[in-house]
Amino acid sequence: MSSTVSSVRRPDVKVSPKARKGSLQPRVAPWMFVAPALALFMAFLLIPILYAVYLSFTRLKVTTGGAFGARTQVFVGFDNYVLSLSDPELLASLRRLATFGIISVPLTLGLALAFALLLDLPQIRYGRFSRTAIFLPYAVPGVIATLLWGFLYLPSTSPFNYVSRALGLGDINFLGLPGLYGSLANIAVWGGLGFNMIVMYTALRSIPGEIYEAATIDGANEWQVAWRIKIPLMTPALVLTFLFSLIATLQAYGEPQTLKSLTSTISFTFFPLMKVYRDAFGNDDVAGAAATSVVLAIGTLVISLLLLRVLQRRAFGEEK
Amino acid sequence: MSTTLVSRRPVSRRPARTGAAPSSRSRGKLGPTIVLLIGAFYCLIPIVWVITASSKSRSELFSTFSFIPGSGFLDNLQSLSSYSGGIYWQWALNSLIYAGGGALVSTLVSAGAGYGLAKYRFRGRNFVFTVILAGVMLPQITLAIPQYLLMSKLGLANSYWAVLLPTLINPFGIYLARIYAQASVPDETVEAARIDGASEFRIFRQVALPILVPGLVTVFMLQFIGIWNNFLLPFIMLSDDTKFPLTTGLYLLLNQGTGQPALYSLAIMGALLSIIPLVALMLFLQRYWKLDLISGSLKG
Amino acid sequence: MKITRTTAALASLGIAALTLAGCSSAGASTEGSTSDTETAASGPVTLDYWGWAPNMQKVVDIWNKANPSIQVKYTEAAGASDLPPKLLSAERAGNGPDVAQAEYQKLPSLVVGGVVKDITDNVKSFKSEFTDSSWASTTLNGAVYAVPQDAGPMMMFYRADLFAKYGLDEPKTWADFATAAEKIHAADPSVYLGTLPQDGGTFTGLVQQAGGNWWTADGDKWKVSIGTSPSTDVADYWQKLAKTGALYTQPFLTPEWNKLVADGKILTWSAGVWAPGVIESVAPDTAGKWAAAPLPQWKSGDVNTGFMGGSAVFITKSSKHPVESAKFLEWLNGSTEGSGYLASISNIYPASIAGQAGLASASVPTLMSAQTDFYSIAAEVSAHTAKVTWGPNVQTAFDAFSDKLQAAQTGGTSFSDALKTVQDLTVADLEKNGFTVER
Repeated sequence: MSSTVSSVRRPDVKVSPKARKGSLQPRVAPWMFVAPALALFMAFLLIPILYAVYLSFTRLKVTTGGAFGARTQVFVGFDNYVLSLSDPELLASLRRLATFGIISVPLTLGLALAFALLLDLPQIRYGRFSRTAIFLPYAVPGVIATLLWGFLYLPSTSPFNYVSRALGLGDINFLGLPGLYGSLANIAVWGGLGFNMIVMYTALRSIPGEIYEAATIDGANEWQVAWRIKIPLMTPALVLTFLFSLIATLQAYGEPQTLKSLTSTISFTFFPLMKVYRDAFGNDDVAGAAATSVVLAIGTLVISLLLLRVLQRRAFGEEK
Repeated sequence: MSTTLVSRRPVSRRPARTGAAPSSRSRGKLGPTIVLLIGAFYCLIPIVWVITASSKSRSELFSTFSFIPGSGFLDNLQSLSSYSGGIYWQWALNSLIYAGGGALVSTLVSAGAGYGLAKYRFRGRNFVFTVILAGVMLPQITLAIPQYLLMSKLGLANSYWAVLLPTLINPFGIYLARIYAQASVPDETVEAARIDGASEFRIFRQVALPILVPGLVTVFMLQFIGIWNNFLLPFIMLSDDTKFPLTTGLYLLLNQGTGQPALYSLAIMGALLSIIPLVALMLFLQRYWKLDLISGSLKG
Repeated sequence: MKITRTTAALASLGIAALTLAGCSSAGASTEGSTSDTETAASGPVTLDYWGWAPNMQKVVDIWNKANPSIQVKYTEAAGASDLPPKLLSAERAGNGPDVAQAEYQKLPSLVVGGVVKDITDNVKSFKSEFTDSSWASTTLNGAVYAVPQDAGPMMMFYRADLFAKYGLDEPKTWADFATAAEKIHAADPSVYLGTLPQDGGTFTGLVQQAGGNWWTADGDKWKVSIGTSPSTDVADYWQKLAKTGALYTQPFLTPEWNKLVADGKILTWSAGVWAPGVIESVAPDTAGKWAAAPLPQWKSGDVNTGFMGGSAVFITKSSKHPVESAKFLEWLNGSTEGSGYLASISNIYPASIAGQAGLASASVPTLMSAQTDFYSIAAEVSAHTAKVTWGPNVQTAFDAFSDKLQAAQTGGTSFSDALKTVQDLTVADLEKNGFTVER
């Protein structure tokens, strides 16, 4: 259960009359502890995002100099937002993202849950090995993972194709449509499965044993125990992993960008963040990219807040 | 106090396995094990692939079956080592600096913030916490260029600081530290120390921190892995390839430019070598992970 | 306590506002910051050089040894496609290098981005080291902006041994090429004659060969000719060819493409003169089996070709040592010695006259060891390369082109229509950025 400290020795604190006067008042103290984090947050999260918002109302435009005039920064109001929201590519990329997400999120979490439950069974052999092996992909950065899977997908270098050709089934088209969504989702599942499984597994292990005694006495089998007892008690972990998976999906970028160099099926604007990257770095349109990012960030925030609201009590329980 | 990856159940759930195993039990025995092994196998496929692929010479890479080892492991290792004057090892060192240094300091920052948010009741506490957590939702790409401009203003662009500083703020780490502090540092102990006349900072240092260490190890590990695997931040901040970490360096090998072939053999060997430290770290420090934090199962 | 907190909050907002105001000025371009009189520095000088050419560090080392007063610090800051945005943000933030490499097609967008110094005066002393058409690639509106480094006149590289096996002659015209495609496909459907040119670089080279230019500058205005002839004619030709099934329709230089080339399943590659080194690195076992020829022509007897790739080196506006930089560039790109190293160490095809002449006596690439006159063919081809203009939004057009062409290929729709869409997108992008486009 909780790792409470069962016995604590009172630390040997010198009682000096000075200590009371110069020491931090408990009222100011929390702010001092939080100060470094707050300062860093403002410097590296808040100010940059505010600057990005500011940028999104500007654009680099040629004002003088004719055909080769240099571009200067100009204020354009909501122009970038209008362009962004009316860009059919953005909508298309969101649809593609949704298709990808519908496959990858349930699969990742479903498999993680299944494996966590299986690991919890007493009759498991080689549990330690399986658990470690499944967690291993967490150590592999997304770009590398995509490179590795890319080789496993390409017709000429893929061992799967080798086998399917040998069986007379021809090539498996991993990188064309519609298989591409599955292939992309696979990379996400492969990478996210282990971490989510471990989170769920630790939640499972902390369920106190007495709860099961009643069920076993009643003659419940493993499936019923899992469904009726384990899963409901794991709800905080489930909600948390779901939320993080959702946010990660909305920000999917590295994998399709890397895979893009291997197949022509992935366009420059395949997923929303790819469009942002392309605008910022390919088209030298940082302002436009900023506008699109703000739109996406707001969307993510709204979805996350809604979810949290709905599931708040279950996620954070009696913590408050 | 348990320091295993997963805490022990206080009461054993079932009677210990007796010698007599009913036949139905032995049939059910293998199923779950097999399913898990299949999962393990699936997760290991690309890792096995990268091991065998790194042993292939340039011509073998595209001509032989994936899982048959080749003859070029040492050659590839040597080519990678000598590429651009041994820059790969510089990249590895840089990754260590960024991940080790960044994770260390950010863990301390998270510890302080988590402790402050957990052990004190003050106005605005929830607001601060929510705002910090919202930081998780900001896409890195949006932050990248403004962060770069900020660093330039400070004269720090293309320096180690440019990659280290932004990683010091880790909202998720603060979240974990807070939960852990809430669950493991008893209010009574803090109160007692206060009554004894200790300053708040002293309480934090001598009472709370020692208790928090196991949880902080987890925070450190997560941030270490996160920074080690981060590609976008160093990519934006750095233009000096001697300061690149492994992720950016490997990307460079694969993206030399139009009409320049990617140095696949080098990149594959480089990928293999870059994974090893993390895997080792994860395996050896398994028993220090306290992932119960994340699952929210710690009750105060 | 309340006051303290409110004050703190207000103070933070104030700091934030000030920082934002400061940051905004970073967006303004640093125009006209060059000194009036450019003189060489008195003491030793270090130049920052950003580029990606292979083994460039070794060439730079040679210079550094011989020139203690002008030291060059070389960094492979990024690959060819990632360097321009890095340059833009670095220069705007004040962190840019002194000299940087840029592909010819990216130069105008860098000029328009305000980071390139006008070096017309700096290069006067060594103008004769390059042909006029070389300088044309780095001259915009009469001003010279970069020193050419390597050139990529397009040629066709083909497997001489496999051509013999399938009974094919070296195609002299595109009509010949089409006939060869049908023949190959009939003989062995798993073999491809070539690759569909679905990247902007290859395609525009082919359009140039046909006499077209996607962008032309007309005084103060731009003219965009992506969705018109001859661009559309080239597209139609390749679409017909793709329909025969004899073309590989995925991008080149992927692991898949590399393997097919290594296995002899792709018989030709139309690319710049730099291609042999590339082919050899991905398919080393095919060395000695290739031959090089001029691109097939539209009209029998013509000797036209276009450019694919090739880059130049420019001096940044923020550089404090333009005189020394020009000196270094003259040696690196123009001199016999420097161009020689570019060819032998960096494996690139130099743009300078001396460089190309020097290659006449060099040994031919091992990829086509049997073809001893490779370099003279290359020089001949190089002399007949079209004059090219690049617009300020090449990357935008190229990206749109790749996406639209691939969509047309998968969906079976017309390539010409795809080009018309790309035209519209390119024009819209130009106008959005304040340029005037001739409709």
